Amino acid sequence: MDKIIVSDSIVKSFGVGRERRNVLDGVSVDIGAGEFVAIMGPSGSGKTTLLFALSGMDSVDSGSVVFDGEDLSRLGDDALADVRRKKMGFVFQQPTLLKNLNVLDNVILPSVRDGTLSALQINEKARALMKMAGIEELETRGVGQASGGQLQRVGICRALMGDPKVIFGDEPTGALNSTSAGEIMDLLADVHRTGTTVVLVTHDVRVATKAERVLFIFDGKIAGAHEAGRYDAACDDVDARQQALATWLAEMGF
Amino acid sequence: MGMLYRLIRNDVLRSTAVTLTTMLFVAAAALLVALAATLVVNLAGAIDTMMTRAKTPHFMQMHAGHLDRERLAAFADGNDAVADFQVLEFLNLDGSQFVFAGGSLAASVQDNGLSVQSERFDFLLDLDGNVIAPSDGHIYVPITYMQDGTARVGDTVRVAGTPLTIAGPLRDSQMQPLLSSSKRFLVSRDDFADIEPFGSMEYLIEFRLHDLAALGAFQAAYVAAGLEANGPTLTYPLFRLINGLSDGLMIAVILLISVLVIAIAFLCIRFTLQAKIEDDYREIGVMKSIGMRVGDIKRIYLAKYAFVAAVGCALGYALSFSLQEPLLANIRLYMGESDSASWAPFLGLLGVATVFLAITAFVYLALGRFHRIPAAEAIRFGVSQEAPSGGRRVRLSTNQRLGANAFLGLKDVLVRRKLFATMLIVLVLTAFIIIMPRSLHHTISSKSFITYMGVGETDLRFDVQQTDRIADRTAEIAAALEGDDAVSAFVVLTTKAFEARSSDGSEVRIVVELGDHSVFPLTYASGRAPTGDHDIALSALSAGDLGTGVGDVLQVMVGGQARDLTVSGIYSDVTNGGKTAKATFTDDGAATMWSVVGVELTDASLASAKAAQYGARFDFAKVSAMDDFVAQTYGPTLRAVGTASYAAVGISLVISALITLLFMRMLIAKDRYAIAVLKSLGFTASDIKTQYLVRSVFVLALGVVLGTLLANTLGESLAGAVIGAFGASSFAFVVDPLEAYLIAPALMALSVLLATVFGTLDAGTIRVSESIRE
Repeated sequence: MDKIIVSDSIVKSFGVGRERRNVLDGVSVDIGAGEFVAIMGPSGSGKTTLLFALSGMDSVDSGSVVFDGEDLSRLGDDALADVRRKKMGFVFQQPTLLKNLNVLDNVILPSVRDGTLSALQINEKARALMKMAGIEELETRGVGQASGGQLQRVGICRALMGDPKVIFGDEPTGALNSTSAGEIMDLLADVHRTGTTVVLVTHDVRVATKAERVLFIFDGKIAGAHEAGRYDAACDDVDARQQALATWLAEMGF
Repeated sequence: MGMLYRLIRNDVLRSTAVTLTTMLFVAAAALLVALAATLVVNLAGAIDTMMTRAKTPHFMQMHAGHLDRERLAAFADGNDAVADFQVLEFLNLDGSQFVFAGGSLAASVQDNGLSVQSERFDFLLDLDGNVIAPSDGHIYVPITYMQDGTARVGDTVRVAGTPLTIAGPLRDSQMQPLLSSSKRFLVSRDDFADIEPFGSMEYLIEFRLHDLAALGAFQAAYVAAGLEANGPTLTYPLFRLINGLSDGLMIAVILLISVLVIAIAFLCIRFTLQAKIEDDYREIGVMKSIGMRVGDIKRIYLAKYAFVAAVGCALGYALSFSLQEPLLANIRLYMGESDSASWAPFLGLLGVATVFLAITAFVYLALGRFHRIPAAEAIRFGVSQEAPSGGRRVRLSTNQRLGANAFLGLKDVLVRRKLFATMLIVLVLTAFIIIMPRSLHHTISSKSFITYMGVGETDLRFDVQQTDRIADRTAEIAAALEGDDAVSAFVVLTTKAFEARSSDGSEVRIVVELGDHSVFPLTYASGRAPTGDHDIALSALSAGDLGTGVGDVLQVMVGGQARDLTVSGIYSDVTNGGKTAKATFTDDGAATMWSVVGVELTDASLASAKAAQYGARFDFAKVSAMDDFVAQTYGPTLRAVGTASYAAVGISLVISALITLLFMRMLIAKDRYAIAVLKSLGFTASDIKTQYLVRSVFVLALGVVLGTLLANTLGESLAGAVIGAFGASSFAFVVDPLEAYLIAPALMALSVLLATVFGTLDAGTIRVSESIRE
């Protein structure tokens, strides 16, 4: 499997003087193209920091992150923005939508900025994605007129507009009830099936069950990895997968 | 108290730039209000003090020609209203008769002449306000000539060949302002007698009344008695007015600017308060949830703004003391100290206290919003959940031609209209303060402006007065002009006095300028120039006195017979006391008071040369090039308005830049989250800066358009009111399109856009990882 992300000994610290501590302490992680990876760990272990480092959203103090063949630490702000727009998609815990824009406008915003597609193509693509996500009826609604689960789906549609190579998720189901969370995970699994790499941070075992590989991070270091293999809803015994993951996590001290 | 102090201190430290800017505007507002109050007290007081000490006449009739002193004295004795009466002599000399070290007054458009000190009233004063008693060989010079450097104390001036030593400046309570066309020099009685043969005598017939309220009745009685009246009539209120005009204008400008600065200070506070409430939204919710009363929470915020307002006001008030000196210098020089000057600091303090109270009341009212903040929502979301209003129809999906950055910028302005309204109002006001004074300056500098002042637009002007045989001598001039190829048009206007009957039936003396008024027409406030034998046009003041309007019939005694004249038009006039009339009929009966010949040249640039040439040829006439006349009469006012207008441009540009900078800084702080979202979507730092630039450009364009419109409508009326003080009642701006529609907007754009660029420099450095997780 080709590697889409290769990170080597990344260190990231916060704080000043004696208070300074390494949140990431020499982490090396490779992620294959088309892989579905979940990052788990206790609060404050550095999960989200790792996600931001791998996506170039945050700089690292030392070490390197190579994304799709480009060393992110060597890219300027504008080049990083281009990579983000053309090759990455982000889904956060809270739906990060702009209140000024309606649902459809939020979805198409990055593509309009990108300017590669025509207005017609952009609108058609957005409507197709919204239909797939089951939110086509929200098109003209304001952000304040949709539920949390619906807004998270809007965020996923927006993330998919640029046909990203990787979708990064930072606890994308963290603020949702279990039904909505399940629906969002199904949607991400669908996206993964189309060949998109998915990397997400979660503390929810049910969410991580659908990942091919689960990384456990503890005190800024990768403490272990759990290879679960590609998830297939039709054949796999979900409960067994979840049980195996839970057992492993318990061994890791989670 | 201790907690309140800590809260205020922390808040001020956290937002130093914003607090300082707000304080600055409050200080500026307090400074201007205190200055205006001080200047008003000093100006009004100084004029009163000067006019009291000089014992300015309540009524003065200038007269050239034969004088019957006995008849005048008998009239004064018989009139109960009269407290004192005198006739002063004013020896009119040609400007070329005054030769100073640096040159003569030949080019002066003023009627310069000599006087001796009066014995009863209308005294000429020294700079300490004392009555001057000149010794032989000494001359006292009007302050204005000392100020412009023509005369210096100790120098020798030759008046009609007699050498006199300049002993000092003099204050003249009635002829001092440039708008008054005569200037008195003071010499001893012997020197006066020596020089008398070289000039023509003019008489100042002066009265002091027991009660100034009787002035109107007295004036009517003087006319009814048919006494000497070959010259302008001037009264105490008019002296007061022209003495206060130029400084009054300055005060009016300061007041206008202070109103604008107060408005801007209020907007500044409103805006920072709004941003602060949004910043503290969650804390406010928490305070409400732990049972603090809204009144208690309000007090915390009020305390901070009261502190800022108090410091600002104190600063402005203190500064007003150091800044008032240069502004008071002019008043002190021309009018002396005010007896009521000790009141000025109190009135200034009162003005500043009003500013302080207005600000605290304003903040208190604005804090009423606290009542409407739901505690639960505030704690949960930390921001107001009010749905964005407006701009809903503007959609990116249907409008992708604009591009994402332009769209986001525009949409934001539409959605957060209330927020951007603050910046818009500031820009409208600054555009207004830039364009209005410049247009005013341009208008009063334009050659046609004198047509608002009762003077036709000519290149050259001959004044024939205080001479025998005015008619013959005027005809001599006309004949010479007839044969001059350089003259393209000229007109002879002869001024005579007639009796007229006012609307209440009383007899009034009116001064009518006869001749063809269509050659160099005035600008009429209403109606038109007189064309037929039965037309008469009246100055606004005359029309007011007579109680007539356009279309009314006025009975005038012409050649011993009553003639009904229809009022064809009303114009503004500042010449000859402002009470004039114009007609075209011919009359051989009444004596000519003076005549004027207006000339248009084929080449206007020859005016000065022609004036010199004709001045030498016709020494009985005063010949002036119109440009010189305007420059000398209105020059200082023009320069003052010019300087003020440039100052206004500078101040406005600084204000617009400062407010934009402040606004952008606060906007960026407020929009951290949205910026982080955009960055996570792949928007570059320059994309985000572009979006803020679009917001600025949009608001700027709107502000400039509205400000320009406002300047050309409201500004025009406002300027009209100011010009009205000069006696001109109708007024239209002459706008310099290049300046008003290109240079002014370009300068504003430069200041606002530069401020936006500086204000948004770090917009792109906001870190997604920090801002999105908050």
